[in-house]
Amino acid sequence: MKIFGKRLFRPRSIWIRKVVQWFFFLLIALIAVNHTLVENGGGIAFLSTASLHALCPFGGVVTIYQYATVGTFVQKIHESSFILMIIAFLLAILFGPVFCGWVCPMGTVQEWVSKLGQKFFRRKFNHFVPEKLDKVLRYLRYLVLAWVIYVTAASGTLIFAEYDPYFALFNFWTTEVALPSLIILGVTLLLSLFVERPWCKYACPYGAVLGITNLFRVFQIRRVESTCKNDGACSILCPMNIPVDAVKTVRDHQCISCLECTSEAVCPVAKTVVFNVGGVK
Amino acid sequence: MNLTSKPLAAIIFVVLFGGIAFTTAMGWWQTMSTKEAATFTEGEFAGQANPADIRGSYTFDDVEKNFGIAPDVLAQAFKVESNDPAAYQVKNLEEAYADSEFEIGTASVRLFVAFYNGLPIDLSTDMYLTEEAAALLKERNLTPEQLTYLEAHTVSISAATPAPEADSAPAVEATPAAESTSSEESAEKLVKGKTTFREVLDWGVSQEAIEQVMGKPMPNPLTKVKDFCAEQGLDFETIKPALQAEVDKVK
Repeated sequence: MKIFGKRLFRPRSIWIRKVVQWFFFLLIALIAVNHTLVENGGGIAFLSTASLHALCPFGGVVTIYQYATVGTFVQKIHESSFILMIIAFLLAILFGPVFCGWVCPMGTVQEWVSKLGQKFFRRKFNHFVPEKLDKVLRYLRYLVLAWVIYVTAASGTLIFAEYDPYFALFNFWTTEVALPSLIILGVTLLLSLFVERPWCKYACPYGAVLGITNLFRVFQIRRVESTCKNDGACSILCPMNIPVDAVKTVRDHQCISCLECTSEAVCPVAKTVVFNVGGVK
Repeated sequence: MNLTSKPLAAIIFVVLFGGIAFTTAMGWWQTMSTKEAATFTEGEFAGQANPADIRGSYTFDDVEKNFGIAPDVLAQAFKVESNDPAAYQVKNLEEAYADSEFEIGTASVRLFVAFYNGLPIDLSTDMYLTEEAAALLKERNLTPEQLTYLEAHTVSISAATPAPEADSAPAVEATPAAESTSSEESAEKLVKGKTTFREVLDWGVSQEAIEQVMGKPMPNPLTKVKDFCAEQGLDFETIKPALQAEVDKVK
């Protein structure tokens, strides 16, 4: 896609994903601003006035325990969070964590900052963390998930909002945002200069939940061994550092279904890395 | 079957927005708490909105929608100096009158609305009003009992300053950061409509003390005190000050 003769996206990239990411980033940003405007007596009529909590599917996850035991939602969580959680699960069961790779504005912002890192560090970018350490750190997000679920269930309040960089990203202009979340947002953006999606890889509790669907999702990323040139392009450019060229079917819990490894994008051989159901020959 | 990026993008949009549209049509999609007060279920006022159900999260605009009292009248009654009284949340009164010896807050608004519209309200607990509110009410048709109560519960207080808007107050509720200063701490430890038993326990009140106030075994701590009162047929307006007294003891 070109505007004024200039190419908007990297050749052989999933440009439609970037468009979708922009759309959801702007949508959430506008709703967050509108929420503030409405609180101050203004607002944009055609836009939702919902709070960020009401539009976060992870809110649905953390309120499950309270909903099951008491029949109520955690404070500030509403039916909409529950519905979005179900929709995101449905999409994940079918296509993997597309919410992470295509929708989540926190992932989008990290990708944007990473563009700078890519320019500075070239091939070294996204390969700073030693492989062994990286492998262990990838499970940290499950600890974060366990902690968030425990403290929410025990307190009945959204304690994670105090630490949530996503909440800080769209509320930094309000008094609602807590200092720890701003610090975590700053650290995440800084690390994004060196590592692609550091929050998603190492700390995101919602990514941890959706990542599990990679083990059993309907549509899988598959590599056709008979036509594969083993050039490693799919692995080198995977934002989540998944060794796609070493497996037949990607079942890594970190895959975000961005499709950047497929033959539609970086793989130079047609129909060799595909996103499909039913397997390959 | 292979799937490429464009159909996948379309599917994401259709599933996401289709899901929202479907649940909206079904009436399931709610992004905020409903601001519709419960109605009286029996007697002369059956079907009318009950002032006892006014919650701290209501704005003066919500009060007008439920009870027909203009935000300007409420602002005058509670000395709220705001450019937009319609957006002022009832719970902000507690903060605005934090220095007052007598609590002016959500209960005061309930009392004012009930007297203003001639609706019944339980007067067994102490609820206070400003002189301005009392003056406005005296222009209405009050019963001798209401007038006596009003005389005994009118307090002279300086003007309320505009409080933080909407969600800003609860955002710091019961969080470690909010408990860092004593003034914030005392402001936080208020038994309100959405207070859970967990919060009361966290404030240092023992389970035994809670059960003594409630007169019943404590349910799951995540249950809201108000919800439990409604379930058990207890009057929240009676339980609330008793529980608050226990909280104040351990402050």
